[in-house]
Amino acid sequence: MSQLRAARKSLETVRRSKELLRSFYARDARRREGGPLAWCMAGVSSEILHAFDVPWEFPENFGTLCAAKQVAGQFCEQAEAEGFSQDLCSYLRNSIGYVSRLVELGHVPPEAPRDGMAAPTMLLGSGSICDPRIKWFQAIASRYLPVPVFHTDPMSLPHDVDPHDPRIEAHYKELLRDTLSEQIAFLERHTGRPLDVERLRDAMANAQEALALLWEIQELRRAVPCPMGAEDYFMGGVIPLLYLLGERDAVEYLRQLRDEVRDRVARGIGVVPDERFRLLWMGIPPWYNLGFFNAVGALGAVFVIETVYFSGAPVEIDLADPVAALVERSWKRAVWIHEWGAEVVPENCSLSGFSAPGMRLLRRWVQDYRLDGVVMHRTRSCRAVSWGQVHVKNQLAEEGIPSLIIESDMADPRSWADAVIMGQVRGFLGGIESARGTAPAC
Amino acid sequence: MTPSGLARARALYEGRDERARELKADGRKVVGYLCYFAPPEIMEAAGLVPYRIRGDVREPVTEADRYVEPYGCPFVRNTFDQAVKGRYDFLDGVVMSHACDSVQRMYGIWTSYRPPAFRHMVNVPHTVTPATERFFRRELELFKERVEAFAGRAIDDAALEETIALYNRVRALVWDLYALRQSDPPLISGTEMLEVLIAGSGIPAAEFETLLTEVKAEVTARAPRSGPRRARLLFYGCINDDVSLVRLVEECAADVVMDDTCIGARGQLGAVTDGDDPFGGFVRYYFTGFQCPRTYRGTGRERFDYLVESARRFRAEGVVLYILSFCDPHKLDLVDVRRRLDDAGLPSLVLEDDYTLANVESMRTRIQAFVEMIG
Repeated sequence: MSQLRAARKSLETVRRSKELLRSFYARDARRREGGPLAWCMAGVSSEILHAFDVPWEFPENFGTLCAAKQVAGQFCEQAEAEGFSQDLCSYLRNSIGYVSRLVELGHVPPEAPRDGMAAPTMLLGSGSICDPRIKWFQAIASRYLPVPVFHTDPMSLPHDVDPHDPRIEAHYKELLRDTLSEQIAFLERHTGRPLDVERLRDAMANAQEALALLWEIQELRRAVPCPMGAEDYFMGGVIPLLYLLGERDAVEYLRQLRDEVRDRVARGIGVVPDERFRLLWMGIPPWYNLGFFNAVGALGAVFVIETVYFSGAPVEIDLADPVAALVERSWKRAVWIHEWGAEVVPENCSLSGFSAPGMRLLRRWVQDYRLDGVVMHRTRSCRAVSWGQVHVKNQLAEEGIPSLIIESDMADPRSWADAVIMGQVRGFLGGIESARGTAPAC
Repeated sequence: MTPSGLARARALYEGRDERARELKADGRKVVGYLCYFAPPEIMEAAGLVPYRIRGDVREPVTEADRYVEPYGCPFVRNTFDQAVKGRYDFLDGVVMSHACDSVQRMYGIWTSYRPPAFRHMVNVPHTVTPATERFFRRELELFKERVEAFAGRAIDDAALEETIALYNRVRALVWDLYALRQSDPPLISGTEMLEVLIAGSGIPAAEFETLLTEVKAEVTARAPRSGPRRARLLFYGCINDDVSLVRLVEECAADVVMDDTCIGARGQLGAVTDGDDPFGGFVRYYFTGFQCPRTYRGTGRERFDYLVESARRFRAEGVVLYILSFCDPHKLDLVDVRRRLDDAGLPSLVLEDDYTLANVESMRTRIQAFVEMIG
């Protein structure tokens, strides 16, 4: 472990994204007054939580925050000392270690960033994306915080079924409807309030706008030079998507971001002054070292698009019945991903706002984003996102697209070997440049 | 002379896929499957030969790294490595289920590099609710249609009932053999039992029924073993499709008298029952009641009561917890299962392996110490 740095943001609007995050965490006061507080997995619809006026925390996102603030290592170690294997997801270990400290002290541990996460009154899990998240809240509720747990359980389409077969569509949508209805019933029971349909409709409308703006921003990143890199996306795109989907603030923020990116495109301003390499980032970023993207930028390379926290193309839904609309959005997004090649993507039929692109889409991106290569981050403790990268690499190689796999972790900084990784990146870029017949890059 | 009983089981175990290859040569279609969520009864009722895909701990993984990440379920990687090497070329089809991330992802990778004539994934929800039970039932109905199309014949109700009855008889015989381990000393060793079960996982159920009948007769006729009393252990954990580890435990002055693993008791005990609603029976047997840690079953440690009861019924004095590297579902249960066993006064020993048995000697030392501690 060495050379861990926060990212220098390029876009003015992205620098202000921290204010959004502050406003999210500023709700703490309300959370600490004894009202309901849900801890949620990615995959849980924040629009539903808005509709119930239930504040929430994301232990996964908290893992990224702890990683960025360099305290994830100690929480992970605490979890390992209590029997949770180092193989397990580092977000999970981080939250277990955090919860353990929370229970041990009886209050938020002082080392926790942004005043930590208050103890939840309920745990809302999701079966989408990976196995550990279906067991994660089980572990927390079983050992540390015995609060009610509910998991939504949407199932993704295997890559070789036909989503346009009406039976298949009915089969999957029935489960989506059922699991959402069960979640609503759970929330009604535990908040003592019925679903506020109007609030849900407003939140869904905001989410639709936000997702359309995000897509527009992603499309603008095709420009040469690229107006926005991963160092900006992993804050500026991810914060509204993961924390604030359904809120008006997110829409206004993304509109400003879209305007700034569009302005850059019009004026031909890029993230790096001398853009020589346009790269795709595949995998979860090293949250404790987002400065890595600046370091790569200093070599003339920009990550013009990413596979994670990818919002996908907007889909049309009818908000007359917002619950049905949420089911429809989940299904249509899953079908969209499926049609772009999904044989090795994580489970992608999700009630939340993001998913993962398949191989056929990556091929398309090579053209649309004029990619010179792909860098894949193999995260040892997140096999759900890493497994399949070698398969993708093989397919890219068949088409002459260079790719590099670097290895560390998303939240556990002990796995980062800066000299090794930067050496790999320099060699990779040098190889691309040599293939072009120009001088070595570095 | 063709061996019978335990000798036949040993030959089938060692010969792995020889019988399936013979059946293939006779014109039968052989379909390999991983995990129990795709009921083999459905395949067999259509005239297919279901073959449980095994790994091989004795075979180093040398080819899979070209196609799949090094970090991930070592068992699944091992099975795929063998597929890449051509060991499963006799399979006409591959059926996987959404048992875990590794299997789900391997389905796409396997069928890309080694596309079989028939392939199918059975999707399996992570939670057990009326809605997910309905979903799983529909999945099985779709699976049946795919199987029928591949087999070229419809599965009629009578054929399905007959196959379910056959599988139930097989499981009843398996239980009879397990029951012979309740005595002290047990009449059949853990190593022998596992050899029989693994042998049976690669042959048609009718042949397995015959094999079990022979083994039961042979074992029942045995005189009880003499000699000093040995510790009685329950073997719990990840898939165990090789007898080496159980044999190692039994070489350390202990008897493995019960297990809770795949291919062991986890998928073999009980019966698919529901009279005129076979799919309701499948849902209950292969989903609702199937104790795979990949399925969420609430937060209470009482979810492991069945394990404690099993240990008590078989008079186990300790539990070996066998865990494969990178097995998230098992590793996340490990803390709770150990606490439940502690509460029940059952000592436990964790053996972690990467499906190579590379640390067998250090394991031996730890097992010996554990057995001595139990006294």
